[in-house]
Amino acid sequence: MKYCKTCNVHYDTPIEHCLFCHGDLTDDNQESTYKFSTITNKKRFSQWLKIFLILNIGSIFISLALDFFNGFTITWSFTVSVANVSAIVLALMFFSHTVWSTKLSKLLITTIVGVFLIGLSLRDYQWAVDYVFPSIIVIQMMILSSLILFNHKKWLDLSSNLLTLAIIGLFPGLLFFLDITEVNWPSIVCVSYAFITLLGIFMLPSKENREELKSRFHI
Amino acid sequence: MKKQKYWYKIDNAGKLFPAISKDARSNIFRLSFYLNENIDPVLLQQAVNETIPRFETFAVQIKNGLFWQYFGANSRIFKVELEPARLCKHFSSYQNRGYLFKVYYLENKITLETFHAISDGTGGMHFLKSIVYKYLKLQGYQIEHQNKILGELPYSKKESEDTFVSNYDKNHKLRLQEEKAYHIKGEEFANHWLLLVKIKLDTKQLLDYIKSTYHVTLTQFISALIAYSIFNESIDFIEHKKPIKMFVPVNLRPYFDSKTLRNFSLYIKSSFSSEKRDWTFEEMLEITKADFFDQINKDMLHQRINALVGFEKNMLIRVLPFVLKNVAFKIGYNILGEQVITCSLSNLGICDLPDDMKPYINDADFVNSSTGLAVTVLSIENHTNINFATPKKDLSIINYFVSFLTKAGLDVTIDTNYKEAYDEIL
Repeated sequence: MKYCKTCNVHYDTPIEHCLFCHGDLTDDNQESTYKFSTITNKKRFSQWLKIFLILNIGSIFISLALDFFNGFTITWSFTVSVANVSAIVLALMFFSHTVWSTKLSKLLITTIVGVFLIGLSLRDYQWAVDYVFPSIIVIQMMILSSLILFNHKKWLDLSSNLLTLAIIGLFPGLLFFLDITEVNWPSIVCVSYAFITLLGIFMLPSKENREELKSRFHI
Repeated sequence: MKKQKYWYKIDNAGKLFPAISKDARSNIFRLSFYLNENIDPVLLQQAVNETIPRFETFAVQIKNGLFWQYFGANSRIFKVELEPARLCKHFSSYQNRGYLFKVYYLENKITLETFHAISDGTGGMHFLKSIVYKYLKLQGYQIEHQNKILGELPYSKKESEDTFVSNYDKNHKLRLQEEKAYHIKGEEFANHWLLLVKIKLDTKQLLDYIKSTYHVTLTQFISALIAYSIFNESIDFIEHKKPIKMFVPVNLRPYFDSKTLRNFSLYIKSSFSSEKRDWTFEEMLEITKADFFDQINKDMLHQRINALVGFEKNMLIRVLPFVLKNVAFKIGYNILGEQVITCSLSNLGICDLPDDMKPYINDADFVNSSTGLAVTVLSIENHTNINFATPKKDLSIINYFVSFLTKAGLDVTIDTNYKEAYDEIL
């Protein structure tokens, strides 16, 4: 133990100076130990993420400025900016702390939106609407529903993601009816899969599944 | 028999925490026991995993519903970890196998850090005592629990009760209004590091002094002394025109005959105006005493519970999707939340251990995370620990508090997580 004569307090930790008066402490030969872990000053990962964000934001401003001052119109820089924004959102989602199924769903939906916007900026979005959107949703629904079928315990963790995806999976049908799609079979496959999945969620619930739905929708 | 599949609505006190918690504001509290010998992490992990199933309210993971978040059952294997340098460090439940608490070991110390959404100090202490009891048993010690270790007693559904809701009476609500409070300012440590200054006092000496000199309770004395220290050491308080407001959580279980392990406490407050420029300690103590007397009565507490639960029962709020509620909670808390509080003081009382356990436990800690100043009190055996936790570098308030005690003739022993080499890092 150490002692501060000025403040009249004992210290049960091995420091040399008083916290309050900064005076030297006297030692009474009773050993004290530091009872906490010591700080290691390693560079935090978030700093690398910040650098990545700054580089992308810088890229957006520089390309927009170059494009604008080159002819007072925004052309190629819009594509670059969309790609940069998508990269930022994807990076933030990828390094967010959440369950992998939710993360995967969010990443794929962001990819769809990003790809569609890039297509729009190139004035050629048909391939994104016709193929990318429905196929990504179908693949994701297949992954989740297969996991649930092969490991029933996963139902509790994955059901809400599957439900969200199945609802999103109905949208290609809307695009089909509005005559926005040109190649229709991917949208039809997606809507059919989504519809069957929704039927499965709501029509074939075990007691456990009903309880899960009840908890998800409690008000 | 205890259920294997279950889910809970998050209780009234806990609803806000998931939305507002972040690295700088973790809303985590720490409880530690110092044993006689170094901890065996393998045995500790076994003890935790054998204890968790008994504590249904801790064996949960947080899930998102359409309208509210909720707690679902969690049966994953729990992993104990080496204690990190930062106290009450924010953690992602996803990286903790879904669990909303951490169990750490360091030399002879076992630490439980709990996210406030699942429990309060009373619930956390029951859980930690049960873990340590199990750990000592696994080490081969013969210990009788004397009905003081909840983990060894049969499970009761009352432990999982949302007592805020079960005591709700929509006809007797108090109108809750809070004015803004004075805030302690100053430079902070880097990376949201939290400084702990632990003041260790002889319980009998302390209580004799307080009772013979001031005739008040320990909590009232400490609360008034903190307020007086803030008043004396904050040079901008007078011109600030906002009062010092001490927030003291009250354990509601004795008032409502509750055994819940979930959150069941409410803050009472004592307020000291900045218009008065010549506060004495005795005046502050009188106001504290009067405020405690006015606010700690069952009827008043019940009316406040009704007001708080009434808010979540509001149909407009209930039908709002969770995503929007989350944003609203964040904005609301940033505008109002921390502005109404100067300092919090939480007294967990005496740590009551079975006689057979006492020889193996040297000391205990209770620490609350803070963005300003959080003071916690815990008594074990014959001493009382008053812990100051703050991210601020300025120690003048703590210094004033300590010097008041030493001038009163009390023997003060200080411990801290600060090291002199930290000046270069923090």
